[in-house]
Amino acid sequence: MQFQGTVQIDAPRDKVWAFLLDPNQVGSCGPGVESIEVIDEDHFRAKAKVGVGFISARFTVDMTMAEKTPPDLAVLKAHGQAPGSAVDATARMELSGPDAGPTQMDWSADVAISGTLASVGARMIEGTANKMIGQTFDCIRSKLAGA
Amino acid sequence: MTTELHPQTTPEVGGMGHSVKRKEDPRFIQGKGEYIEDVNLPGQLWLDIVRSPYAHAKIKSIDATEALKIPGVAAVVTGKDLEGYKLHWMPTLAGDMQMVLPVDTVMYQSQEVAAVIATSRYAAADGVAAVEVDYEPLPVVVDPKKALQPDAPVLRTDRGPDKQTNHIWHWESGDAAAADEALANADVRIAEDIYIPRIHVASIETCGIVADWNPIRQQLTMHLTTQAPHAIRTVVALVAAGAGLPIYEHNIRVKTHDIGGGFGGKVPVYPGYVLAVAASFLTGKPVKWIEDRSENLQADSFARDYHIHAEMGATKDGKIQALKVRTIADHGYTDAAADPSKFPAGLFNVITGSYDFPNAFVEVDGVYTNKPPGGVAYRCSFRVTEAVHAIERMVDILAHDIGKDPAQLRMENFIQPEQFPYHTPTGWEYDSGDYPKALQKALDLIGYDELRKEQAEKRARGELMGIGISSFTEIVGAGPSHDFDILGLKMFDSCEIRVHPTGKVLARLGVQSQGQGHETTFAQIIAEELGFPVADIKIEEGDTDTAPYGLGTYASRSTPVAGAATAIAARKIKEKARLLAAHLLEASPDDLEWTNGRWSVKGSPDRFKTIQEIAFAAYTNHPQGMEAGLEAVDYYDPPNLTFPFGSYIAVVDIDKGTGEVTVRRFVAVDDCGNIINPMIVDGQIHGGLTMGLAPALYEQITYDELGNNLAGTFMDYLLPTAVETPAWELEKTITPSPHHPIGAKGVGESATVGAPPAIANAVVDALWHLGVRNIDIPITPPKVWRILHDKGIS
Repeated sequence: MQFQGTVQIDAPRDKVWAFLLDPNQVGSCGPGVESIEVIDEDHFRAKAKVGVGFISARFTVDMTMAEKTPPDLAVLKAHGQAPGSAVDATARMELSGPDAGPTQMDWSADVAISGTLASVGARMIEGTANKMIGQTFDCIRSKLAGA
Repeated sequence: MTTELHPQTTPEVGGMGHSVKRKEDPRFIQGKGEYIEDVNLPGQLWLDIVRSPYAHAKIKSIDATEALKIPGVAAVVTGKDLEGYKLHWMPTLAGDMQMVLPVDTVMYQSQEVAAVIATSRYAAADGVAAVEVDYEPLPVVVDPKKALQPDAPVLRTDRGPDKQTNHIWHWESGDAAAADEALANADVRIAEDIYIPRIHVASIETCGIVADWNPIRQQLTMHLTTQAPHAIRTVVALVAAGAGLPIYEHNIRVKTHDIGGGFGGKVPVYPGYVLAVAASFLTGKPVKWIEDRSENLQADSFARDYHIHAEMGATKDGKIQALKVRTIADHGYTDAAADPSKFPAGLFNVITGSYDFPNAFVEVDGVYTNKPPGGVAYRCSFRVTEAVHAIERMVDILAHDIGKDPAQLRMENFIQPEQFPYHTPTGWEYDSGDYPKALQKALDLIGYDELRKEQAEKRARGELMGIGISSFTEIVGAGPSHDFDILGLKMFDSCEIRVHPTGKVLARLGVQSQGQGHETTFAQIIAEELGFPVADIKIEEGDTDTAPYGLGTYASRSTPVAGAATAIAARKIKEKARLLAAHLLEASPDDLEWTNGRWSVKGSPDRFKTIQEIAFAAYTNHPQGMEAGLEAVDYYDPPNLTFPFGSYIAVVDIDKGTGEVTVRRFVAVDDCGNIINPMIVDGQIHGGLTMGLAPALYEQITYDELGNNLAGTFMDYLLPTAVETPAWELEKTITPSPHHPIGAKGVGESATVGAPPAIANAVVDALWHLGVRNIDIPITPPKVWRILHDKGIS
């Protein structure tokens, strides 16, 4: 599944970059995220509860920062598993705009969902994913705007 | 049903032709049937299965640490554990290999990865959720045509170095050169791609087992959902021998209890069965495994999935000349079909159907993909449904192409009654049939000419109505031992009859009812032959310790094979009864004649002995030199298959706004030879028609590009209910099988086989004037709506 979009954030670019690269900060905006563990600068592990329709699963997601060009470009790879389900994703975000802001983020994600979540939740996944993405960016925008 | 039947017995005796109420129904309608789920043994453990989220992946590690901490979890079994016993792979009924648990690679989404054994169902499920498996995803092959391309990843690397391909086997039948030549010379030549989608039997009872290894007695009892108890027993014995386990066939007992629907889905051996047996062997306790609905829909064997390309040639006035069919069969990751071993594509070469084809050639290639095993003969005698759908679609396309009425074209091309026994160009000998009679009866019953007038009027008004015909020939009753075996086991079947001193009868058979009414119909055969009332006859199946060996119930083989064995065993008893009667009447056996359950002296009808009197004498007053008792057994090896047939006509209306198809009327004229119980035959046809409506309009298992099964619940896998099902209108013709002892043919599957093309033909008939030649089933509202939308119709 492919997702992409553009978000305007009313904050200077280095602040946006720092926020997005801090797993604890950005993780606090992920819907259903229960814990974030920073393994090293480029490796994190999150536990998150995800619900699609009547299916709900607690995922353990291992994330690797695959590419990093401050303060413009980052590519994150994620591999998550829950009993009977798995998610593999590559997310890319590119920041642009005046240094003092507002900052434009062009993002895209290539997500492969396997197992029960895909099989039983197939017809609801896209709607749920769009909702979760929307919630995440709303949260990021509001936290950065208040910073 | 109005067909004239002439029962030879009184209603009290209830022999053939009587609609005897089903002896099994009192327990079913009171909720007192006993299914595997109802079997609970002291000390029983539960087994649940960890399944793969990926359709193709390497297993990097399996960590059971957290699972084993859960109270009640006794053990977690992985492929590596089974490898030590050489139990990680098992043979399929098609002679391929299937994983019980994978050691390093999973091959389809929801495949078994590990088993958790626990003291309760809940603890087992909690244990499954706590087992951590680390996977590395591999490229997924979903499309069988792509699987054959040179750059496709080879899925079954376990096969020998000369088999590093996704191609499993090639099979062909008929004369390719003759078919090519006839096609080249034909005035009219048509070609079509027809896909018969992957579907699931979706029986109401899912699969399950209670495996009970008794280490003291060294006995294994398997309470098991299986349609073929004896074959399973032998396979288990062979697998145990291969694994070096001390489980021998005389100490293996398979008990089926009642079975809540089989339809072919309970013929294969599933990994859950083997895991439960292994777990019971390791723990010395009974182990129960019952799959849930989603496991059943995602992991059990599937049916159909044939990609057919058919070509047909005819003269300009519609006399058919040649048929050529090329097919790709998607088998999933292993060929687990229960086809007879000489027939990897089943009896698909019955594809010339009811028509007198001078030339035909058919070829099938089996292919591996990242899906669960396919090839189940879903209420179908080994690929006949696929064959019938293709030929009935092709005949209709030809009729429309040359502007001839589809009924007329069929009448002009039918094999005629005087041509039987008829030899098909692909090697079958049809035993008997009268195809024009069945079609004419269906045309008369539905009022065909009036319907065509109505259709013309409606079309002029822009309304969409279609009429579709299917004049199918089935091929059932596998099968003669010279051609038919499964894993080497010849496909005979058996019946043993014991007449007790007080004139009551116990009969045991090698087949296995799954709801078909065997306890009634086989009793009626005995009642017919021996004159015992049906009420005095008990039929037992499904216990391998007591029943004679047989190959089980599928492919409509019970009446053609075990029914014949029952009649012949009864006739053996009748012959012994003649000798006993001669002794009692002090007459020569040759002077006796049999009428209505008694042997009487010819010319002196007052001098007789009833079968009940004879039975008592068999134990109390048998002549010196004769064996006491009144018993017989027969193992019946059929000389040929039987070929039931019929003509079905569907009338459909299509909603232009939504694309929804409504089956307004459906007439089914069936011919299954002599009829044992008309009510049960009608019941079989009702069920079969509904299971034919289902794939025609609703059911399909689809996969996304990652190999995720998208029909894993009844929300997505649409079974028709009474709301969607039309009122079936049934009729019969009776053309007895000339070689079957009671002239009967199989019937359980005719309607499943015959119904889908009647509905598909009706839909295409409604849309032909818009340029529609074919719509693959299931014909869902979105498919039809898209066609109408593209044509600017709403």
